[in-house]
Amino acid sequence: MTTFRGHLRSLEDDGDLLTVSERVHWDGEATAVATEALEGDCGALRFASTAGGVDLASGVYAGRAQITSRHHRPWRRIERSLGCENEEYGRLLETLSRRETRDLDDTPFEEPAATVDSGADLYSLGLPTVEPDGRQLLTLGLIAVERDGVTSWAPVRGTIRRRSRLRLSIPRPFVEWCSDERSASVSLGVGAAPHIAALQGWTLDRTTTAVPELATAIDDVAIAAVDGRTVPANAEVRIDGSMTSVDDEVAGPVEIWERGCETTGVTVEVDAIAMRDSPVVPFVPLGAPLTDDLHLTALVEAAALYRRINGYWGVSPVSWIRLPVEGWLGLCLVSSEILYSGFEWQLANALFSFSSFFDKVLILDDYNEPTDLARALDDMWVKAHPSNDWTFSDADAPAASAPLYRRDGETGSRLYINATWDPRWDEEYIAPRVTFDSTYPEGIRERALDHWDRLESGGESND
Amino acid sequence: MTVDTLRDYLRTLDGEDDLVRLDDPISWNLEASAVTMLANERDGAVPLFEDVDGARLVGDPYRGTQRRPWDRIALGIDLPRDVPREEFYEETISRLQRPHEPVTVSPADAPCKEVRYTGADVDLLEFPWPYIHAGDGGRYSNLHTLVVPDRDSEWIDWSYHRAMIHDDETASVLLLAGEQAPNLYYYEYEREDEPMPVAIAVGVEPAVQYTSVMWIPTGRSEAAFAGGLKGAPIELVACETNDLLVPATAELVIEGEVLPNVRRDEGPFGDYFGYMHGPRRSMPTLRVTGITHREDPIIPFCVEGTGVGYTENSTSSMEVGCVGPDATLGLQAGGFEIEQCVPWQSTPRSVYVISTANTDPGYLHELANFIFTTWGMLHVDFFVFVDADIDPFDQREVLEALVLHADPDSDFHQFGVETMPKVPLNIYQTPSEKGNVQTGTSKAKTAKAYIDATRGDDALDDDPDDDLHEWARSVLVDAGADPDTIPFADSTGGGRSR
Repeated sequence: MTTFRGHLRSLEDDGDLLTVSERVHWDGEATAVATEALEGDCGALRFASTAGGVDLASGVYAGRAQITSRHHRPWRRIERSLGCENEEYGRLLETLSRRETRDLDDTPFEEPAATVDSGADLYSLGLPTVEPDGRQLLTLGLIAVERDGVTSWAPVRGTIRRRSRLRLSIPRPFVEWCSDERSASVSLGVGAAPHIAALQGWTLDRTTTAVPELATAIDDVAIAAVDGRTVPANAEVRIDGSMTSVDDEVAGPVEIWERGCETTGVTVEVDAIAMRDSPVVPFVPLGAPLTDDLHLTALVEAAALYRRINGYWGVSPVSWIRLPVEGWLGLCLVSSEILYSGFEWQLANALFSFSSFFDKVLILDDYNEPTDLARALDDMWVKAHPSNDWTFSDADAPAASAPLYRRDGETGSRLYINATWDPRWDEEYIAPRVTFDSTYPEGIRERALDHWDRLESGGESND
Repeated sequence: MTVDTLRDYLRTLDGEDDLVRLDDPISWNLEASAVTMLANERDGAVPLFEDVDGARLVGDPYRGTQRRPWDRIALGIDLPRDVPREEFYEETISRLQRPHEPVTVSPADAPCKEVRYTGADVDLLEFPWPYIHAGDGGRYSNLHTLVVPDRDSEWIDWSYHRAMIHDDETASVLLLAGEQAPNLYYYEYEREDEPMPVAIAVGVEPAVQYTSVMWIPTGRSEAAFAGGLKGAPIELVACETNDLLVPATAELVIEGEVLPNVRRDEGPFGDYFGYMHGPRRSMPTLRVTGITHREDPIIPFCVEGTGVGYTENSTSSMEVGCVGPDATLGLQAGGFEIEQCVPWQSTPRSVYVISTANTDPGYLHELANFIFTTWGMLHVDFFVFVDADIDPFDQREVLEALVLHADPDSDFHQFGVETMPKVPLNIYQTPSEKGNVQTGTSKAKTAKAYIDATRGDDALDDDPDDDLHEWARSVLVDAGADPDTIPFADSTGGGRSR
């Protein structure tokens, strides 16, 4: 079981957490520093001195841009939080795509780690602001609601409106499931598993209420009961109150998952705020690149696509799927065996059908590695024939949700780029890659490695 | 100190603890190349092989580091290795705008004349030309300067075309129609059935090597531009067996003539696309008439194919560090309002990114039209235009612009499907485009494209508060962030209070 607090310790032990000891105000400054850290490929951040009642953290589930280094695995911090570090990306996809659940009767309930602080109000938390709204922003939040003895969790983003009122954006199917005014708890500072489960439960093509069951199957998430609701037991901050649907959108910059599903607004009138000792709340500098919500949503969406595509034609030709966070999920990479001529067309258009985020798909041969984004993009430029392999649809497709153009509902084109070898070509026309293993016979490789090992003390690593 | 020779440059690397010497006997037969590939993949120091059949090889001496492709390029023209990227670009452009005419020295003062062979004494195979990839068509000289005279004027072209060694006195030279030197051969000399006098200067001083890869306009003195880069005149010396002048400090000079209507096989070769490219093709034949060299010459080579993805090599680094500033200057001199022209770092030659403040309707089309009609575009299939506030060196920013702002419906512009010249090395060619697999020279055409990844009517980003973000960076540095880990950004230092 990896709690958020434990995750921070783990990042720190790994040298992947920077502690900002300089006093940084939550009003604009924290967001600016967090944005620079993400753009600068820094470690995760913990702000040790802010004006608010909680300490802040950022980038805890984010990862460094892979486009700069083959050693950057953008999903690494999520893996760490899930306690499954160093898994192959493909294995991670398989794990998440199975969407296994665990019966909550098999999960012992604990006492919530956060206790009610009667003196706290929402403003006193000191959550970071993002212009132009300037309101304290709630990101990476998780709402828990119970209905007919079943509790579900959903992702939320929102703002603080008064000392005891939240306005939150929530997936519309979740609000419809709630169906009425409900008691609710909003948890901040939970591990990656509850976030992933909430996204799986309510933002994809197949919704399910069994989110706590998904979360506990992904990682051994501790759960607690509050007023009959099941909540993550180790949340740093829990905000209890009553939720009312107001059926309109919540203004301001959105989290990326909101672009992939229909959302609606709710109001939460807050009755109590519970906090752990020295609580730490992670936040997303919305609008910045490479944020936590991008990483979480990219992984969840890729796993969902992987599951659907590999179950679509009776065989499983796809090695991996990625929505690179560098492209804000507006580009989908798929590495696949090309079963027959024209399969690439089917593959691209199935992906377009299954996701609303992107309108650009890059199809790669199955020898491509998910950890080698630069080389995948190279194939786009050098292997896809500029005349034949950049295929645009008629302009009848709905606009994708991740890009910033055509936000007016106009239809347009989609593009898929086929950077695979044509299965009709004879072997002699297939150019082998230049790699150390493919370019040199074994004896030469052994001698070269031997030479290099003796020299490497004078070299530097490529990291 | 001015870097006058390859040896000076290597000494400079050595002084920076950035050169590793291998004293053990190393074979030219794949072994030197394999070690160099490891160095390239690991951003290691430059390997100098001291004992290759009694001679010396140096592997990818101009390779930059992954995050700073230009850093070793800078050392070769007396710029500090940690020169900020903006400053490197500005200084390189500034020097190109101040050419120095070359001077001619006597053979006695020319290091490349220390040893001379002509006539029957010529033996190309005396030197350890590396066999670079298993599957290559032969051994190559591929990091050198090809010196070619215009048949009808005083103009001398310097260029960068590989040569595959065949025997003791012949090689085939990769001359692809559409580039300057090949055009001189195919459309001047060969039409008149005349041999084209050439010299291949191997192991030239850095400024000469850099100029050889640049898109220097036809008719202009490349030696003078090299002098501008160097900040001092390049010394030239006359060849022994033809009238050409060559860089006097070269490690080795191959003199000869490219014969009219005589072809030899060239390739396959592990090319700059990162793939082994075939099939063999017929290329013009160089007949060697003389060889001069320094005592104990050092022969540089490039492990092509490694300079893609996350790895640099000499070709890819020179593309970023030399062709980038040169192309920027060329486009600005053409009257276009561009900020910078930068090769897509991990895909040298095929894709360029241009940042521009002028995104008026039609302007990008005009700009692309201008570029695609120049001789330098043969290898380039794509240009990506981004707004002036996007750093074209930052591939993450460029990818973001491409994904978020380039609308498949309106922002991808193909220039003529199957109407534009194509470099026959491209691996994407269909079997019919490759032509006969035995002879293999493509006669096909292709499309070129530009992508408008500027914001246009898309939502504008908020204006950044520069002071706030600068302060934020200083906070991070104070917290222990390493400025050098910031991709393609210059170290900023910290400590600024807010």
